[in-house]
Amino acid sequence: MSDITKHSLEHLADLSRLELSEKEEEKFLKDLESILGHFKELEALDTSNILPMTGGTSLTNVFREDGERKSSLAAAPVVDAFPDKERGYLKVPAVFESPDANIIRNIKS
Amino acid sequence: MHLHDLTIKKFHEGLEKKEFSAFDVTKTFFEYIETRDKEVGAYLSIHKDEAYKQAELVDLKVAKNESVSWLAGVPMAIKDNLLITGLPATAASKMLENYKAAYDATVISKLKSEGAVFLGKTNMDEFAMGSSTENSAFQKTRNPHDLDRVPGGSSGGSAAAVAGHMAVAALGSDTGGSIRQPASFCGVVGLKPTYGAVSRHGVIAMASSLDQIGPITKTVEDAAILFKTISGQDKFDSTSAVPPAGGKYGEELWNPKLEDIKKLKIGIPKEYFGPGLDPVVVKAMEEVMESLKSLGLEFKEISLPHTQYALSCYYIIMPAEVSSNLARLDGVRYSPVNGVSRGDHDLAELYKKNRSHGFGAEAKRRIILGTYVLSSGYYDAYYAKAQKVRQLIKDDFDKAFQEVDVIFTPVAPTPAFKFGEKMSDPLAMYLSDIFTIPVNMAGLPAVSIPAKIKLGHAEGQAGLPIGFQLIGKHWREADILGIGQFYEKLSG
Repeated sequence: MSDITKHSLEHLADLSRLELSEKEEEKFLKDLESILGHFKELEALDTSNILPMTGGTSLTNVFREDGERKSSLAAAPVVDAFPDKERGYLKVPAVFESPDANIIRNIKS
Repeated sequence: MHLHDLTIKKFHEGLEKKEFSAFDVTKTFFEYIETRDKEVGAYLSIHKDEAYKQAELVDLKVAKNESVSWLAGVPMAIKDNLLITGLPATAASKMLENYKAAYDATVISKLKSEGAVFLGKTNMDEFAMGSSTENSAFQKTRNPHDLDRVPGGSSGGSAAAVAGHMAVAALGSDTGGSIRQPASFCGVVGLKPTYGAVSRHGVIAMASSLDQIGPITKTVEDAAILFKTISGQDKFDSTSAVPPAGGKYGEELWNPKLEDIKKLKIGIPKEYFGPGLDPVVVKAMEEVMESLKSLGLEFKEISLPHTQYALSCYYIIMPAEVSSNLARLDGVRYSPVNGVSRGDHDLAELYKKNRSHGFGAEAKRRIILGTYVLSSGYYDAYYAKAQKVRQLIKDDFDKAFQEVDVIFTPVAPTPAFKFGEKMSDPLAMYLSDIFTIPVNMAGLPAVSIPAKIKLGHAEGQAGLPIGFQLIGKHWREADILGIGQFYEKLSG
């Protein structure tokens, strides 16, 4: 098992889509070191012949008929609950604001 | 009528006898909440219009002499990670501060069809991450028994609402003890059902293989009534199920027979009664065991040898699922995050700004920990290993249940602790769920019941509630609720 470093913490934050302040980094490094240190106790256990438990219980899957289903959600309340909307549609921030956006605009035009 | 005396059963009986109306009781609750909740802080939002409308519908039925169900008109509090159409569901996070639910959770649909009245949404640890409700982004909830102490977590708001007589009953969610531990700290009953017994559709997911919704009530009988209503297989949750062999949860849940209960053998796991257990908790457990013995129940020492590994195992699997479940929260899909402008960033940068601004420290810590244990190079050493250890923990219980029917343990190592006592040390905080976590790992049902003892000043912490835990076999909620109901009768 490997210890966590400032560099790996920054990488993990990036993967997690998080920005950490210097103070947060300092605190998390200390916390994670302590928590990951605690996990080392698991190394003592021999689990070579154990099958992993992958769910809450050993349940069988629930299948439904393979047919058309009505949506469980009516559109109007979903749209109403959304903070930003226009003409009955959800309005989200523009995605393509990079130089690639020009390509999209060119395709559209 | 006094709010302090109201249970689901007493409310139902009074309503049917027309001793009061559902509207008047609802009004009385809101009046009490207005004063009492200023100091307790159990509710994040209250919803008078919807509550009064529902209460009036129930009163109309009663006026027409139509029969009403057990839960009709019952004033309830709902943890803020459960969706009710049109009402806020913040999960106590700035990330969802502006979110309003577009549909009902299945448990809410079931309660609505029974006519329950929802007074409001209760405070919690952000996304149910915590053991004290100190991680809420919005406010502090105080323990109604001692305002300097935490109510427990993460369903601290729901437990405090019931203990503080600001709701007759409540719903919470339990991932590693989040119903049972606050129930113990606040002196109320909390049931974590068998995994799959209650649909998780419409709960804001924290760790999907561990989460389960359950009741927080004043009596064990009430917990049984509420559990019966919310349980059942649901087409919207493929992990939900009916008891094996097509069985149903029947009357034995709330109307147990002593002759059946006496036949149950109770196991005492030696690993749960070691060092680290507060002497007042030891004393409380001894007194409860004496009471249960007087009912004719037999005790036997058992061993759950992998108990010591449960905490490590849980704090690998849970954050792994947290990092995955919370990945969908980006400040775009559900609601904008206050203080982050939506227009000046590319998408990846916007996600980062929203998530960094919206999530609190504990959520960030668990997301990063989860990302770490799932990442390439560490997956086998942490996540895969923890899943195997989880199987060992479940095997321990399976083996123990060949010898006994029910397992008896404390709920928490200590009574409610003071604010800030464990906030700087996450491991110390995590340890407060040490006795409840293994139950979630194995998917078993368990209930926290207040020990009916009065601790003197000699023991310190006088007047603080202490709960004991009964763990049952899969789908045998009837056993633990049955013992609990006879314990209640015994101790008055």
